[in-house]
Amino acid sequence: MSKPYTITLAINRYDPDTKLSWIQAYQVEASGILRFVDVLRKINDEQDPTLAWASSCEHAQCGSCGIIVNGKPLLACELLVREAVQQFNTHTFRLRPLTIAPVLRDLVVDLEKAYDRVHEAKPYLIKPAPPCPEGDEYRISPETLEVYVEATQCINCFCCATACISSHHHFLGPNATMANIVRLMDPRETAKDERMDILCSEDGVYRCHTSKSCSFVCPKDIDVSHFLALGKEGRF
Amino acid sequence: MGEKLTIDSTLRCDVLVIGAGGAGLRAAAHIAEQRPGTKIIALTKVVSPQKSHTTTAQGGMAAVDPKDPEDRPIFHIFDTWKGSDCSADQNVIKKICDMGWEEVVWLERHGMHFSRTEEKRIAKRPFGGHMLNFGETKAFRACYEASRTGKGIMDTVWNESLKYGVAFIGQCIATEILLKDGICIGAVIFRFPEGKFMAILAKATIVATGGNTRMYQVSSNCRGNTGDGLAIALHAGLPVMDLEAVQFHPTGIVGPGILASEALRGEGAILRNKDEEPFMERYAPTAKDLAPRDLISRAIVQEMRQGRGLFHEGHNAPHVWLDLRHLPKEVHEKKIQEVCSFFKRFVGVDPEKDLCPVTPTAHYQMGGIPTNEFGEVQSDTQQAIVPGLFACGELAAASLHGLNRLGTNSLLELITMGKVTGERAVEYLKDAKDPEAPPPEAGHIVFDQFSTYLNAQGKEKYAQIRDTLRNLMMDKVGIFRTEKSLLEAIESLRELKEKAMHITVGMTSLRANQDLWQIWELNNLITVSMVIAQGALARKESRGAHFREDYPTRSNEFNYHTLVFMPEFDKIILGKRPIDTSIFEAKGEHYELFDYIKREY
Repeated sequence: MSKPYTITLAINRYDPDTKLSWIQAYQVEASGILRFVDVLRKINDEQDPTLAWASSCEHAQCGSCGIIVNGKPLLACELLVREAVQQFNTHTFRLRPLTIAPVLRDLVVDLEKAYDRVHEAKPYLIKPAPPCPEGDEYRISPETLEVYVEATQCINCFCCATACISSHHHFLGPNATMANIVRLMDPRETAKDERMDILCSEDGVYRCHTSKSCSFVCPKDIDVSHFLALGKEGRF
Repeated sequence: MGEKLTIDSTLRCDVLVIGAGGAGLRAAAHIAEQRPGTKIIALTKVVSPQKSHTTTAQGGMAAVDPKDPEDRPIFHIFDTWKGSDCSADQNVIKKICDMGWEEVVWLERHGMHFSRTEEKRIAKRPFGGHMLNFGETKAFRACYEASRTGKGIMDTVWNESLKYGVAFIGQCIATEILLKDGICIGAVIFRFPEGKFMAILAKATIVATGGNTRMYQVSSNCRGNTGDGLAIALHAGLPVMDLEAVQFHPTGIVGPGILASEALRGEGAILRNKDEEPFMERYAPTAKDLAPRDLISRAIVQEMRQGRGLFHEGHNAPHVWLDLRHLPKEVHEKKIQEVCSFFKRFVGVDPEKDLCPVTPTAHYQMGGIPTNEFGEVQSDTQQAIVPGLFACGELAAASLHGLNRLGTNSLLELITMGKVTGERAVEYLKDAKDPEAPPPEAGHIVFDQFSTYLNAQGKEKYAQIRDTLRNLMMDKVGIFRTEKSLLEAIESLRELKEKAMHITVGMTSLRANQDLWQIWELNNLITVSMVIAQGALARKESRGAHFREDYPTRSNEFNYHTLVFMPEFDKIILGKRPIDTSIFEAKGEHYELFDYIKREY
């Protein structure tokens, strides 16, 4: 069956008490089908209980375990050792925290702060249309839904925002901007003017430089840049 | 240890929600909508409510549209009663099933992206145990959003709470429920990033911390589902109910334990043993691979026990096969593509060509903090309520599920009971007074716990105790139980608790100390495990998900809910709560179906 791999993880460490940062290398023997979250747990169990990293559901449904591996932002719960070896063509990996929020310790960043950007984009229906005359739910055809359903799969892992060349300064970021665009496309939303203001604000969609790195790294395979392009063109 | 442990600050609010998942935030959203200006604080262990465990639910939310030409709420009520193996409460079943559709409509009008039919209506799919005409034929009752219904629900209640200005505090744990003169006045919390303790005083407190199956070796639960809410309730002297009822989903993906949805078997997937024999034919000749979850889980373990299981070297775990190779290409590509991608991604097999390794995975806690049908927490066997304290969702037991839950009834429960609890809290707030100050002893429970962890000089290892616990619970308090296995487990749990006191913590800083946090969680898991084992020991029968090999049938003697008090570790006090049979007693139409009927499929 699967042969064990010997891999080295060189991990960014940060101690909030002393404010010291350093890079620490861990050598791990791991079966190829272990995920990076399993490898991090193995380091905690066998070598160093102080190494901090984040995760929750561990099957790519919550987006808590984003890290940067050899330059690529991804979910640690999705990356199998053998695939990492193949994909990056190495047995040595550099693990860094996402760059989208302050580091709390080691690989854990304060995603609570990153979420402020999503909150600014108002992901809810600001002003829902009046209920449909027949009662019950709004009537939406599968064809209408199909146009924007892909974007509703976003889990706000901030991998795209980390990869985005423009998101660190005055851009809400690809995921937050897309949350606004989804509601612009949603037939139940009537507050389109308010949404257009968010879309075209100083932090809005025109800060996007169309590098398309968001689509390239999205763990949910959402073509984020496509939705941003629709936003720029005003095609809802 | 340098720092002295103290409560650094006190916050005040009208409503404190502990656990910002589907149930907690449905309650919060209701209160915010109905009572503008209410100051609500919602706590979560994760960074944002959006990342709660609710978001991982796949299949759907059961609800009968009263205008449906075929389906009727009474069929749903019957299915739930039968599915529970006659141990759920009929008043609660009726209330929840009757409310289901209006809650689906609420979610949709607040922005949930349900899948649609050609008629532009919400799409529905069949699910195990949900039938028309009292068990005749499958019902289309599960309203769904692709295979991410839980995410749709979670996003919606989170969005609504956000819209109405609910304040979220993330990355924190509630370590103590504050009671003063028998009234709940809030909680003590600990924040991960700063390592600070805080008291939050509230007129009303809603506990909704979700499930707790991380004490099992294979579990579909999130990393943080460690029974914290149950542990702090027990510590406050409150009872918990029916914890012995742990649902094992038969097809967890070997290794990570992620669910391979029932939908796969719905499409024709077949379970096979080492010899590739389709073994379910022997256990359930009629229903075969679509038999109820508990029955299939038991069959899989039987196969393993009799040497017909397999062993996965990479994950170091036993398993059987799920065979999807014979399904049409179109089914693979369109209907089950998302679930199949889990096999590709997490175990590296291609379900179109390869057999897929699966194993039963601890999935859901049917029991919980006992509440009445309004989400008010009960404090004793007389069902007296604790003023100001509410519970809902998987943490609570009202009880809709009894000792066994039907698929898609959990999302239904957390949304309906969330709303009902919110309604009751709004009522309660009318006359509720602001708590004056935190009691002087507030925080001492967690200070004692943390001091023990931080000062322990032993050589015990966190990982070793965690793994021992998880294997122990799987082997002895899992799918099959006997008096012998349970007594052994209880003895081992005592030893583990003792050992857990001597774990050397990796570092003594309070700030972002993952190790300290996990040791606290491990203690909660051991606490809850003890209650599960004791409840299982006392229930000398087999009912729903609770199976005793030494008492393999259901017994009328046990027609009640198990209550367990454990104010201190291992100090067990057992009690009972009667099962509500109000539908049967009302002697209305079809009442005879609501007797203690046989559960056959």
